[in-house]
Amino acid sequence: MAVKHLEVGVRREPGGTVLDLRGEINGFAEGALDAAYTEAEKGNRDPILLNFEGVDYINSTGIALIVGLLARARAAKRDLSAYGLSEHYVEIFNITRLSDFVSVFPDEQSAMEIAN
Amino acid sequence: MSAPGNGSRRTLAELSVPSEPGNERRAMEEVAGTVEALGLPDRTLERLKTAVAEATMNAMEHGNRYRGEAPVFIEVSATDAELSVKITDEGTGPPVFDPQTPDLEAKLDGEQTPRGWGLFLIKSMVDEMNVTGDERHHTVELILHLNGRAEGGARWP
Repeated sequence: MAVKHLEVGVRREPGGTVLDLRGEINGFAEGALDAAYTEAEKGNRDPILLNFEGVDYINSTGIALIVGLLARARAAKRDLSAYGLSEHYVEIFNITRLSDFVSVFPDEQSAMEIAN
Repeated sequence: MSAPGNGSRRTLAELSVPSEPGNERRAMEEVAGTVEALGLPDRTLERLKTAVAEATMNAMEHGNRYRGEAPVFIEVSATDAELSVKITDEGTGPPVFDPQTPDLEAKLDGEQTPRGWGLFLIKSMVDEMNVTGDERHHTVELILHLNGRAEGGARWP
């Protein structure tokens, strides 16, 4: 089974900057994730929303990468939200306590409504 | 470790994957295909897949040090009462798992490394985890209790 390397799109919306994640969040994802986050935080203090609708696999290394993004957001006092997680990964966000620090929404509309 | 009186153990599959980054996903999908006939609820199956992936990744990384010629062996077996997945690498000495319980606030404050979630995830996803080893192998056994877990069972809504 070939690894689906992560691709990340950066999309500016009135309610915040969306990172559209597609593929797997594992050890291979670090460069793409960091580059996209750096692009998203340039020149503004808007909330950043992680769109997981295109993600079908997150492993423990991927969790660590998300913790790294959260640490950057907290240091910059920037809101970080997530949406589009499957039920299983919502559970993982809960047991790791990521959901205590990253607001988790079912979809982009509800995430944007809160952001605004 | 089987509970007495649960019927004979059936080997469902013996698999192996080369120790190459990303192959934990292949392992978890093959195990998922193997246990399909058991009719596990979706939530239980997803939990098992995560545990298998994390244990396989640990075996490839720490046990076999990502040597492609050193496979990770996976044995799936079941009794009426439990499902067992044994994941074996060619490591020596005690199996390597980060012994520190992950604390997200400590990680965010830089007091713990952001990594170190593997063992925590495995333990959170299955009912039992047993670790054994000798001078040539490490084995992590993942166990799910099946009683009440059939599709539509009451234990896991």
